[in-house]
Amino acid sequence: MTAAKPKAWLARLLLALLMTVTLLPFLSMFTAALAPSGSYPNGLSWPDDPQWNNFVKAFEAANMGQLLLSSTLIVLGVVPISVLAATMAGYGLAKLTGGRNKWIYLVFVAGLTLPFEAVITPLYYEVRAFGLLNTRFAIILPLIGLYMPFSVYWMRAHFLNVPNDLTEAAQLDGATRWKEFWLVQVPLARPAIMSLTILLFLWTWNQFLLPVVLVRDPSLRTMAGALGAFQGQWGTDVPLLCAGSLLILAPTVLLFLVFQRHFVAALLQGSVKG
Amino acid sequence: MAGLKLQDVRKNFGAVEVIKGVDLEVEHGEFVVFVGPSGCGKSTLLRMVAGLEETTSGRIEIGGRLVNNVEPRDRGVAMVFQSYALYPHMSVYDNVGFGLKLAGTPRDERDAKIRAAARVLQMEHLLDRKPAQLSGGQRQRVAIGRAIVREPDVFLFDEPLSNLDAALRVDMRMELARLHTDLGATMIYVTHDQVEAMTLADKIVVLQGGIVQQVGSPLELYNRPANLFVAGFIGSPKMNFIEVTVDGTTNDGVRVANSLLASPALVGQRQGMAPSDTLTLGVRPHALQLDDTGPIGGAVTLVERLGNETIVRVRLDAATEITAALAGQREIALGEPVRLGFEPVDAHLFAADGRRL
Ligand SMILES: Nc1ncnc2c1ncn2[C@@H]1O[C@H](COP(=O)(O)OP(=O)(O)OP(=O)(O)O)[C@@H](O)[C@H]1O
Ligand SMILES: [Mg+2]
Repeated sequence: MTAAKPKAWLARLLLALLMTVTLLPFLSMFTAALAPSGSYPNGLSWPDDPQWNNFVKAFEAANMGQLLLSSTLIVLGVVPISVLAATMAGYGLAKLTGGRNKWIYLVFVAGLTLPFEAVITPLYYEVRAFGLLNTRFAIILPLIGLYMPFSVYWMRAHFLNVPNDLTEAAQLDGATRWKEFWLVQVPLARPAIMSLTILLFLWTWNQFLLPVVLVRDPSLRTMAGALGAFQGQWGTDVPLLCAGSLLILAPTVLLFLVFQRHFVAALLQGSVKG
Repeated sequence: MAGLKLQDVRKNFGAVEVIKGVDLEVEHGEFVVFVGPSGCGKSTLLRMVAGLEETTSGRIEIGGRLVNNVEPRDRGVAMVFQSYALYPHMSVYDNVGFGLKLAGTPRDERDAKIRAAARVLQMEHLLDRKPAQLSGGQRQRVAIGRAIVREPDVFLFDEPLSNLDAALRVDMRMELARLHTDLGATMIYVTHDQVEAMTLADKIVVLQGGIVQQVGSPLELYNRPANLFVAGFIGSPKMNFIEVTVDGTTNDGVRVANSLLASPALVGQRQGMAPSDTLTLGVRPHALQLDDTGPIGGAVTLVERLGNETIVRVRLDAATEITAALAGQREIALGEPVRLGFEPVDAHLFAADGRRL
């Protein structure tokens, strides 16, 4: 007990330090966002006259209501399909492909090594050829594809750890592959599916490059993608930019806080399974 | 109502043949135990019956129906796994009822069956729990419950008790025996524990290296082991083996001798041997008794007092030791010289190729 205490303190100190390092930029953004519009705030000083109004201004200037809707539509278009496809593919690759077909999974690993920035130009021409430029599909479809290597890899890793006995027990209980997948595998994969969903949500929400390149109309982009246009318009207005950025961040932070509890609970449920 | 029939069943994993031509017939309602050392192919054979492992060649019939190409779920079998393989996300109730649900059994009928199974297995109070909240023995019960609600033609068990502690194992063994009597179903049980095999089986199948060594009732195997392997495998402590040569025959049997033996020994058996053949003499520890004129003599190297019996190891020479299980509590000291004898009918002779004579 006595030996553990100093260690616990050290751990707490380290955590506090890390937390400060992580939160400091946000804090400085926050104070900057409260500075008078058009000024150049520096450092971490609390403004004499906090301009809460900046948030309203930024919201209106960047047409946030519209962007919020657009982002939501894109997330809804990307995340469920990606998660579903990845779960099925992960199960297939982990449990249904053996022997000669094992290499298929390596294709996905190869996909992991592909830097996103390297494909953006070909992607532009491809999307244009499909006639999808400047539509939300120009963001949705490529994102689903780009997420597949990681998502499949992630789900496959999960399914590899599910004992084969469970599959066999389900088979003997009379389950078809399809039923086994939905009634046994998917419920057991909940922690993995949950964390994948959260990750894909965050990545989609924060997607910047793809919307900027493929969609000209800011109101069709994701929120983070809209930041580009927003910055052009208010190039020099640092406080408004900061306020806008914080507004864009808010939904992700909020959703993460809400989901975090599920996330932890789901992970715990997985770890105590018999 | 279903028996089971295997005809020249073989299994290859790649180039390796693991099951090398098994023929077996199981009557309806029989309790058959596959027993053998680790890696001999017991699980593989059981999984082939279940349909979890493809059959390379040969025929498997369940209830007179060829099932080689029938899916596991359509074979009318239920299996209890060594790992229990309970669905971690379902309550005990749902675990037990999963098969019925898949089969589309109406809710109230399902409920009645689940509760009946729970009553039989004395786990009614556990129905709402998740598998993670159960002890090993309780999980085992659930796994068995899951098998019995489906009323399969054939039950398959793969070392179901090996994860339990010794006391619980004995309890569950008795419960399984009772269950078999109650249900009257065909059961196939895999174990490498020969005590489990002896106590549970109507019929034991001894496997080694993917080949059936002997099939028979526990006492047949104990009294008339077909070969050296079965003789050594069945019975505890292990049967003693001494290499001997045939010395001559008398009215009572054959006389065998060896430089290790203090005097020639008489074995109640006369057929299948010629004078001066080299054979293996097999005597079970429990057949040996203290006998001042007995053929086996040596110094005691180990004494184990179990209360109801005393196990002694006797050294014949540097390389050969004999185990004797003497009834009751004996005053025997380490190093003490003893002489042991046996009744001629209790001894076994095995030919050079291992077959029993
Ligand atoms: N999927 C597989 N691929 C290759 N070889 C296998 C496979 N499964 C089993 N074997 C081999 O087949 C042989 C028999 O295995 P099996 O599991 O049937 O043994 P067992 O008698 O059940 O042993 P234990 O008592 O240890 O469970 C072993 O030599 C094993 O290595
Ligand atoms: Mg096994």
